[in-house]
Amino acid sequence: MKGFLDYVPGNSFLHKLNPLTKLVLALMICVACFISENHILLVAIILLNLAIAKAAGILSRGLMLLKGLTKISLVIFLLQLLFIRGGDVLITLPLNLLITERGVAMAFVIVLRLIGATMPLALMLSITQMNDLSNVLVTKLKIPYKYAFTLTTAMRFIPIFANEMSGIIEAQASRGVELDTRNIFKKIKFVLPLCVPLLITSVKKIEGSAISAEIRGFHLRTRESCYKGYPIRKSDVGVMFFSAFLVFSAIIISGV
Amino acid sequence: MIKIENLTFKYRNSKKNALENIDLIIEDGDFVGIIGKGGAGKSTLTYAINGIIPHHYQGDYYGSVKIDGDDTFDKNPSELSLKIGSVLQDIDSQMVSSVVEDEILYGLENFAIPKDEVEQRLSSSLKELGISSLRYRTIESLSGGQKQKVAIAAILALRPKVLLLDEPTSELDPKSSVQIFQLLRELNKKHGITIIVVEQKIMLLSEFAEKLAVMSEGKIVLNGKVRDVMKHSSELESIGINCPRVVTLSNRLIDRGVDIGKVCINLDEAEVMARGLIHG
Ligand SMILES: Nc1ncnc2c1ncn2[C@@H]1O[C@H](COP(=O)(O)OP(=O)(O)OP(=O)(O)O)[C@@H](O)[C@H]1O
Ligand SMILES: [Mg+2]
Repeated sequence: MKGFLDYVPGNSFLHKLNPLTKLVLALMICVACFISENHILLVAIILLNLAIAKAAGILSRGLMLLKGLTKISLVIFLLQLLFIRGGDVLITLPLNLLITERGVAMAFVIVLRLIGATMPLALMLSITQMNDLSNVLVTKLKIPYKYAFTLTTAMRFIPIFANEMSGIIEAQASRGVELDTRNIFKKIKFVLPLCVPLLITSVKKIEGSAISAEIRGFHLRTRESCYKGYPIRKSDVGVMFFSAFLVFSAIIISGV
Repeated sequence: MIKIENLTFKYRNSKKNALENIDLIIEDGDFVGIIGKGGAGKSTLTYAINGIIPHHYQGDYYGSVKIDGDDTFDKNPSELSLKIGSVLQDIDSQMVSSVVEDEILYGLENFAIPKDEVEQRLSSSLKELGISSLRYRTIESLSGGQKQKVAIAAILALRPKVLLLDEPTSELDPKSSVQIFQLLRELNKKHGITIIVVEQKIMLLSEFAEKLAVMSEGKIVLNGKVRDVMKHSSELESIGINCPRVVTLSNRLIDRGVDIGKVCINLDEAEVMARGLIHG
């Protein structure tokens, strides 16, 4: 999943929302996912995520995320299937393993939740600039700038790490190291030594960013420093209401 | 004025001194080039000037660095940045934003530049580097050379009294490198900004800088007016710095007793010398 978090510039309705609104929307979608145990509702939320991606002009990234998450989910699905028991036994497997009705239902819920709750966060980060996010955290939520800077710097580096990692893997592959092996332990054995240099360059990069901030007046910054205003417009209020409505419906439908 | 006295620095968890007995005075309005091969301590020296050492990198520190009389120990890098604008060597990690405009805004915001002045500073610094068209681009989509210009523009917008640049042309093609140095010369001559620039390309330094500090293994081995430093071409060669051809040639002529007056440090001077020899 190369480059799945870096900012995609655009002019859509969603791009123009207040960063805070985007954050609220994403978090409320997550909350709705965790409240709901209803398959149809969860699928609807995933479709909503795709609709959001489409509206922001990043549908291809939305689909790529969905594909990646589905792959990860497959493993989780199988594990949950075997561990959760309840209701009628559907299949009896050797080694005393059972697949039960409740197991199937819950495994689906967990996987759909995972997908439905991860997508909005990744999409939000794709259409929000980190500076804007840290600025609203400081001006609107009154979080100290130091923490906002650390948080957003860390997030900004995730895609850079991902790119670097895939670069390293490609370099190793071109030298004939077989990383496509199906054996997960073998794969870990190959990838682990690669993580050390990655970690070192990562720490260096973050340090460089911190130094760069320091020599450009980081310590002089105050809450009033921010140049751009981040007004809450009607559209923001609308989206906030929609987010609340989403959580509310999840509560009603799931009967929590 | 920047006054470095008897400065010795060893990074923590490093065996040898990165800087050793550095004495250097940089006057207001100077245009100083720092040269030396890889690992000579050039970047470390810039860190000592902008306060990253001792505030960010700790280690054994002896001696003193004073900026207009203030010891860098007593002011953190942000306070020092009000006077000294630094462009770091590693261009990727010095970006703090994802879009060019925000990168320039960052320092302006921190410095609390009045809002009605911000736009003017932003657009003029982009214009000076000829990158106005990149304003809304993401940093990630830029080439190395473009990033380097953004980094310089971000510092220029802060209008520092001293500009400290660590290999600002390493990613640039020869033509853009010359343009950057022309810009530095203009800032130096027109606005009296002190320029301190670490640069590997000796041709650029001999053309544009007024003074030269040559580093090797943590020490300053030669220091003075460009022309005076260039007289020592064999010493320069011995520490791995290749002088421009015209310098080597004129030094050799002087050694052989040919009367050409002074060392030539650029092509124009060499031409004058050659004409003189032919006609005289
Ligand atoms: N963070 C650090 N920790 C420990 N040692 C360091 C650190 N940074 C640099 N050094 C060491 O200090 C010495 C001087 O390094 P410095 O980066 O100042 O050289 P430089 O002249 O800028 O080289 P280059 O031309 O490669 O940029 C080197 O021996 C280097 O290994
Ligand atoms: Mg260096």
